[in-house]
Amino acid sequence: MKDRHLSLNQTQRVRLEAALHELQSLAPAAASAAAVTVADTIPVNQEDNILKGHGTSDQDGEVVATLCGVVERVNKLVYVRTLRARYKPEVGDIIVGRVIEIAPKRWRLEINFSQDAVLMLSSMNLPDGIQRRRTAVDELNMRSIFEENDVICAEVRGFQHDGSLHLQARSEKYGKLERGQLLMVPPYLVKRKKQHFHHLEQYNVDLILGCNGFIWVGEHVVVGEKTKPTGGQQRFSTEAENFTPLETRKHICRLANAVRVLSALGFTSTVELIIETMEASVSSNVEINDMLGAEFYVQTAEREAKRRADLLRKKNGARTLEIKCLVDAYVWSDAEDPNLYGEWDFEEWKKAHMKDFLAMTNGFMHELEQLNPRPGGDL
Amino acid sequence: MVGLSEGEKHFIRGGITQDLRTDGRKRLQFRALSVQTGVIPQANGSARVRLGATEIIASVKAELGKPSILHPDKGKVSIFVDCSPTAEPMFEGRGSEELSAELSVSLQRCLLGGKSGAGAAIDLSSLIVVEGKVCWDLYIDGLVVSSDGNLLDALAAAIKVALSDTGIPKVNVSVNAASDEEPEVDVSDEEFLQFDTSSVPVIITLTKVGRHYIVDANSEEESQMSSAVSVSVNRHGQICGLTKRGGAGLDPSVIFDMISVAKHVSQQFISLLDSEIAAAEAEEAEC
Repeated sequence: MKDRHLSLNQTQRVRLEAALHELQSLAPAAASAAAVTVADTIPVNQEDNILKGHGTSDQDGEVVATLCGVVERVNKLVYVRTLRARYKPEVGDIIVGRVIEIAPKRWRLEINFSQDAVLMLSSMNLPDGIQRRRTAVDELNMRSIFEENDVICAEVRGFQHDGSLHLQARSEKYGKLERGQLLMVPPYLVKRKKQHFHHLEQYNVDLILGCNGFIWVGEHVVVGEKTKPTGGQQRFSTEAENFTPLETRKHICRLANAVRVLSALGFTSTVELIIETMEASVSSNVEINDMLGAEFYVQTAEREAKRRADLLRKKNGARTLEIKCLVDAYVWSDAEDPNLYGEWDFEEWKKAHMKDFLAMTNGFMHELEQLNPRPGGDL
Repeated sequence: MVGLSEGEKHFIRGGITQDLRTDGRKRLQFRALSVQTGVIPQANGSARVRLGATEIIASVKAELGKPSILHPDKGKVSIFVDCSPTAEPMFEGRGSEELSAELSVSLQRCLLGGKSGAGAAIDLSSLIVVEGKVCWDLYIDGLVVSSDGNLLDALAAAIKVALSDTGIPKVNVSVNAASDEEPEVDVSDEEFLQFDTSSVPVIITLTKVGRHYIVDANSEEESQMSSAVSVSVNRHGQICGLTKRGGAGLDPSVIFDMISVAKHVSQQFISLLDSEIAAAEAEEAEC
């Protein structure tokens, strides 16, 4: 994605720096220790026979980084992994790619990898759904399934012995993606999770987070309608009626802008964060277009800093000594109430109410114990 | 340029019809504009303009030269545009020749007026030092660093800002020179004359997609255009130039409508650009 430049005024710049500083201080110390820039020495135990991997070099007996990135250690191998690298596929990843070529019995897709990925015709469900051998006629009709420049969702099947990447799209949920927009973010921002297909019911939007950094935001399509062969131009002849409805389009644009802002800030793209950013924009009445502006950018950074600080505080909540207690206060509204004043005898009260009072107080104590378990004993 | 699938093109067309483009803009809304002046210290004037992801650097250099025999009372201005390969891989080598030539010609037509020099945005008579003998030659260069659509508008804006940043050195002519000799000129290093750029026009390109026009198309939307009309309007609302691109034919009533829309949009854009120029100059004065 092309970089956008934001012109921040003085206050915004100060706020942004404060938020970024807070985020950096909240990051676990180990993470910052592993980050290196060019010419930093990598701390290495000299006695072991360390294999110097990519991004390292031997300088005067010291292992020195030649790239900016994170140091990774695997057994005896030490290497530097850059952040803005190409996508590194793993078997089972869900990816979103674009068809660039139709070759004999296969499609070639661009997936931000060092090579083009290959989707074999045999790894694809036929439009009629029958399981059969692919004939020459099927091969000639490949274009009716996927054309050049189509956006496709598929899964990584594996690597071939010659190093090429093979994909498969056998399930109903894979296939051509239409009626939406494709966004490209750096691949390191999309972490591998259990679910990559997200159907946001409240917005009627499909959000697909491809592990290769291609994120699809589009109108919800009922599974099963995806691999229908198109009638070419015929389908779009009744275009005006076929356009995405305006409400759904607004949600799609908001989600897309939320993804753009998060990727510009370098925050991991998870569904929760994207939806949270989008809802924050709705609640603060930011125009869809202004989500790409400087003010929302700074607000998003501040919000993320606050969220991480809260998360950390909750984790450490039991360990700190300052336990904040939420107190309910009853305020008497009527100062002239005759029942407010009177005589009160403790012995009388004790007979009538003491047991209930003790039970109630014990109840409160148990509640508090459950919320904030104390290391000490009971009272 | 990455291709777009039919589904994505359909989505873009739908957005334009419903007045909600893919980044949330309305049809007649510009992207975020950012302006910096004085980016090239060796030039007499320079500017860098960012319109969304499109980035342009413009520079103005002034050299002393001889006026043409046909117009002894006018200086010379030439405009060249170069597209850097950092913008698109296809701009490498001679790939950008056609596009650069087209952009240069459009800019010349809008800013320099006709062959006789009439209607030029820059007052060429102000560039004369000694009539018939010595004049200033202005070389305006535009460099496309990053391309995401709407290059012409961004180039015109960059040139306008660069001209407002330009300082022409004061020249002292020695008085006792014979009429047919080359006069001696002393170029001052200290004093500079600023250009008056209030009459320099801006260019607004209206891209027609389907039945609607959009302003400031990004490269995805430009791939969907049927035709585009670029109108150059100055502060007084007068039209200084008109260019039409694209193969689709347009009805004359549509052209008139596009011109009136361009005039309306240009007034906002000019005031926005002027305030950005003022802010950039104030920032420079602070440093």
